[in-house]
Amino acid sequence: MHLTQRSAADTSSESELSMTRTFKAPRSLVFKAWTEPAHLARWSGPQGFTTPHHEMDLRVGGTYRACLRAPDGVDHWVKGVYREIRAPERLVMTHCWTDAAGNPTGPETLITVTLTDRDGGTLMNFHQALFESSASRDGHSQGWSQSFDRLVDYLAEGVAP
Amino acid sequence: MQEQALTAAFAALADPTRRAILSRLALGEANVTELVRPFKLSQPAVSRHLKVLEEAGLITRGRVAQSRPCRLAPEPLKQMADWLEGYRELWDKSFERLDEYLDELQQQEKLDAPHTAKRR
Repeated sequence: MHLTQRSAADTSSESELSMTRTFKAPRSLVFKAWTEPAHLARWSGPQGFTTPHHEMDLRVGGTYRACLRAPDGVDHWVKGVYREIRAPERLVMTHCWTDAAGNPTGPETLITVTLTDRDGGTLMNFHQALFESSASRDGHSQGWSQSFDRLVDYLAEGVAP
Repeated sequence: MQEQALTAAFAALADPTRRAILSRLALGEANVTELVRPFKLSQPAVSRHLKVLEEAGLITRGRVAQSRPCRLAPEPLKQMADWLEGYRELWDKSFERLDEYLDELQQQEKLDAPHTAKRR
């Protein structure tokens, strides 16, 4: 905790999450922590979660699949496909909750992790968006977030019909 | 909200025109004719978008045969926001652990290999 700087830029909307964190560790190590099962198992999920199952095929187009077990014993399965792997600076993968058999139980999202050297440590930019919304990378995304921000404000005012 | 409904709502919002239509409806209900005007689209095209939004539960439509006014259904949008907020919490807590773990790894590295501990 004491090493992590939480950025005021952390935002979320209906369509995406953006989070930044600074770690007092070289980015090669942070990248490893993201890409090796033994490391991932040590920090995936909130405190008290364990990872009884973790498989990953770390190559573009390769899949990963993991089971996060909550302290109450409930299993949360996740799977995804690696889209881009550029050690030690960039990792892009899809992310989807599934049942134990691997059937999706929610929308698929796209996670982009970018690592930059910063003051002897690592600045991590974490971005998670709906996978479908990558279709709006045609230049509409700006307009969309603006117009949708207004909608969110409107809903927050509680004047919705 | 059913997972399937959530997926449908997200898929419906993947389209910029449909997001714009929703934003317009946030200002108040409107019928197809009123929605066609600002979007430079044909009426059938707008109707198709409305059908997708309605099937995803994001709008409701009146029963008046000719005008069928469209209204925003805010609840699914709030549920979508909650769903993503759950992710934010998950990552926030995971990153706290990652921070501690990286610290631990580096301490270990120093013990295991004192000569390379300064290496970056």
